[in-house]
Amino acid sequence: MFLRQTFTLFAVICVGHVLLISAQVQSASGLPVLQSIAFGALARFQTATGAVADSGRGLWTNYVAVSGAARESEALRRRVLDLETELQRQRALADRAMALESALGLRAEVPAPTLAARVIAGSPAPGSSRVMIDRGRRDGIRPDLAVIGELGVVGRVISPVASGAATVQLLVGQDAGAGVTLERSGAGGIVLGGGNAAPLRIAYVPRLADVQPGERVLTSGQDGIYPAGFLVGTVDEVLDAGTAERQILVRPAVDFSHIDLVLVVLSPAPDTGRGGP
Amino acid sequence: MKLTSVLLTVGSAVFVQVVLARYTVGGVWAFDLVLVGVIFAALQWGPAAGMVGGTIGGLLQDLLAGEIVGVGALPKTMVGFVGGVVGSQFVLTRAHARVTVVVVASVVHRLMILALGGLIDQQWPAVSWSAMLTETAINAGCALVLFQATTMLPGVMERQRMSRRSTFSRRQW
Repeated sequence: MFLRQTFTLFAVICVGHVLLISAQVQSASGLPVLQSIAFGALARFQTATGAVADSGRGLWTNYVAVSGAARESEALRRRVLDLETELQRQRALADRAMALESALGLRAEVPAPTLAARVIAGSPAPGSSRVMIDRGRRDGIRPDLAVIGELGVVGRVISPVASGAATVQLLVGQDAGAGVTLERSGAGGIVLGGGNAAPLRIAYVPRLADVQPGERVLTSGQDGIYPAGFLVGTVDEVLDAGTAERQILVRPAVDFSHIDLVLVVLSPAPDTGRGGP
Repeated sequence: MKLTSVLLTVGSAVFVQVVLARYTVGGVWAFDLVLVGVIFAALQWGPAAGMVGGTIGGLLQDLLAGEIVGVGALPKTMVGFVGGVVGSQFVLTRAHARVTVVVVASVVHRLMILALGGLIDQQWPAVSWSAMLTETAINAGCALVLFQATTMLPGVMERQRMSRRSTFSRRQW
């Protein structure tokens, strides 16, 4: 008798799940209401879990794992010195480039404003490539804004966006992509995530373009999401070179398994004004 | 009491999964501690507990992941229920026998999610067998630790109580 009741309940729950899934999949206009309400409410829970994890990690790094801090500090000081020198050199180069741009009559690109955000949670679904950040609608975040890290492009903001939290689709995600340019050869293409052989691969590169491993891959700015010139990664391997089935595999610049602080580019990628698509 | 235990088990599993997922997202390590919690509840308290645990845990996981609500919950409900039926039909007292159930459940659960994704997207998704193997192995490792701990914990507590009693009896009052 008990087992029959359990079976009945099991059947009812399964039918309920199927109806729930069907209702969301068939939703034609925008995001399902259930999902956006639930995301807003659960973002607070994720912020709390992020705070718990951070305090645990802070306790470890600030009090337990301090051995070697002096050595690390010394190394960092030297690194700062090196970077200062490099910064001076880059400033000089930038000044020269600006002078050349004005001489050639090109429109100067104003750097887009950015907003720092902290990653508060990862998607609990195994294998998913989404993270949640602690900035939302009230900070001016909306879908399709680019998210970058200190080493390169991280991804873009996708729906749902709550008032104090937002979802970021990582560039290595299954449906992610970005318009890119190969630095040395100058060829354009689209970098796609979710590959089995490598986290990223480039598609739609002209067949005659000479692509070599080690070449840097930068955003082209032509997708309307990512500003031009940000590092995506480096070409790791070129398979079946010289054939129509050529595959260009890219090693991402960002370590996607350890993302803590990111920058959200608050305005869409500017029109580069450098010709057609 | 049983419902409270199931809710506590699944709630803790979701909490740990959310905290750890932050450091593994986009990486090579994939695991599903909620599934481990659901199978634990199913083997410990029967098919109804597995079903309820699977439904609640799966729905919470779907809502937190921002994915289609129910895609994770339906397979977890089914796997939890069947796990509970298996646990009630066969006497699975040894940890390795229970871990075998978790291994089978992990593979079946992942295949069901892929099949559901295929039905929704109208195309069979790319299957990474290595990722599936990693997930199954990590789930099995976590389950082994959990089952060993729950098997050994009552014995350890009993021994401590006995040693306290014997210490008191030897004492000269």
